[in-house]
Amino acid sequence: MKSQPGEKHQVAFEFREKLNAIAEGFRHNYCYQCGACVGDCPASNYSTGFNPRLILLKALLGFADELISPDSEIWNCTNCYTCSERCPQDVRPVDVIIALKNICIKEGKAPDLVRNVSDAVLVSGITTKMTTLMERRRQEFGLPPIKGYPVDDLKKLLAGD
Amino acid sequence: MATKYPWFEAAVRQSLARVGMELIDVDGFTCCPDPIYFQARDKMEWYTIAARNISLAEDLGYDIVTTCSGCTATLSEVNLALKEDETLRKEINRRLKRINREYKGSIDVRHAVTVLRDDFGIDRVEETVTRPLEGLKVAVHYGCHLLKPSRVMRVDDPDHPTILETLLRAIGAEPIHHEMTLLCCGRACITDSIPEHMLGDILDAVKSHDADCMGLICPTCFDEFDLGQIVLGRKLGKTFDVPIVYYFQLLGIAQGMGTEEVGLHMHKVKLDRVFDVVKR
Repeated sequence: MKSQPGEKHQVAFEFREKLNAIAEGFRHNYCYQCGACVGDCPASNYSTGFNPRLILLKALLGFADELISPDSEIWNCTNCYTCSERCPQDVRPVDVIIALKNICIKEGKAPDLVRNVSDAVLVSGITTKMTTLMERRRQEFGLPPIKGYPVDDLKKLLAGD
Repeated sequence: MATKYPWFEAAVRQSLARVGMELIDVDGFTCCPDPIYFQARDKMEWYTIAARNISLAEDLGYDIVTTCSGCTATLSEVNLALKEDETLRKEINRRLKRINREYKGSIDVRHAVTVLRDDFGIDRVEETVTRPLEGLKVAVHYGCHLLKPSRVMRVDDPDHPTILETLLRAIGAEPIHHEMTLLCCGRACITDSIPEHMLGDILDAVKSHDADCMGLICPTCFDEFDLGQIVLGRKLGKTFDVPIVYYFQLLGIAQGMGTEEVGLHMHKVKLDRVFDVVKR
């Protein structure tokens, strides 16, 4: 945290309301800061910056500037779900972090990589596009050809949300 | 897997057929979609696309069997969330109505390794083995998404899993449980430093146990370890030389499939020690 001892902060409840409105985001309210999520967190053990308890604390205080950014520590979560195994409060920290990422995307503050990879699904129906080489490989390994992906169905499905 | 590792798919199709599992391809499936980037993009859209896929399998009336840990994670979590939460199910069905589909919650999603263990049984797997991989030491790497969150996955004890060791013993191989067996591959991190250090520690642990190869179940972990160790090795001026194998390739080989049929020649790190065992 960047704050100095004794410095006063107002909890930004409007940010917490925003987080509550995202799927699974409301779980941040259950966190009582015990830190059970930290000990076995690989991103914590392999870096100095990542700490799931502090991410939850920033969410509880409504520190949007530190969380909602392409450079935020949240993007170093390994999504391993070990914290969700350890949490006695069913906060499911990974799911809260994912809700924070959803806010980043909505506000145009996510790393380009995340948007680019997920865009591929909407453009071609699949993350890793089929190539001529891979079509040939499928034949070599005696596999049936890929029939194509119903991209129009996906477009219709996601229109209007 | 279909567009990146077709040789894994070949190993899966043939080895499961030999056990007696009949796989039916579902027409119209799209990407599950992936549990990292797509879920980070928009969780409601992630639920929606996965629910569409599940609904296609529901029409056929069969459970979904998965062989990629990422696909398993997405489809299992969405299936459980929609079964548990009526409000969410109604919202997703409102969206599915645009393409005249409905999610009913009538089937389960299961990773193929659980079907082998729980439905066919380890004895049945053993019966299909014609070339036991005796003397092959396989360092086990679980990957996260087969096991966690355990509330959703319900595959094994997430801290003391045994399913991969059991399946490796069934084909005559010797599973090696090492200090880093349960560590994440780090693929989801946005920076390189965290996964690189994790990768280095895992590969060093495997080497210190004198394993012949690392055996795993997740294609994304495979990517991270096979190509990844070459990229990291170049950066560090070091050769790790830890061959990586996907479990179903080993199963296929133990059942008599050729090493080329399961695509071992496609791997970046050569698998000489696996070839030696097969030749014996």
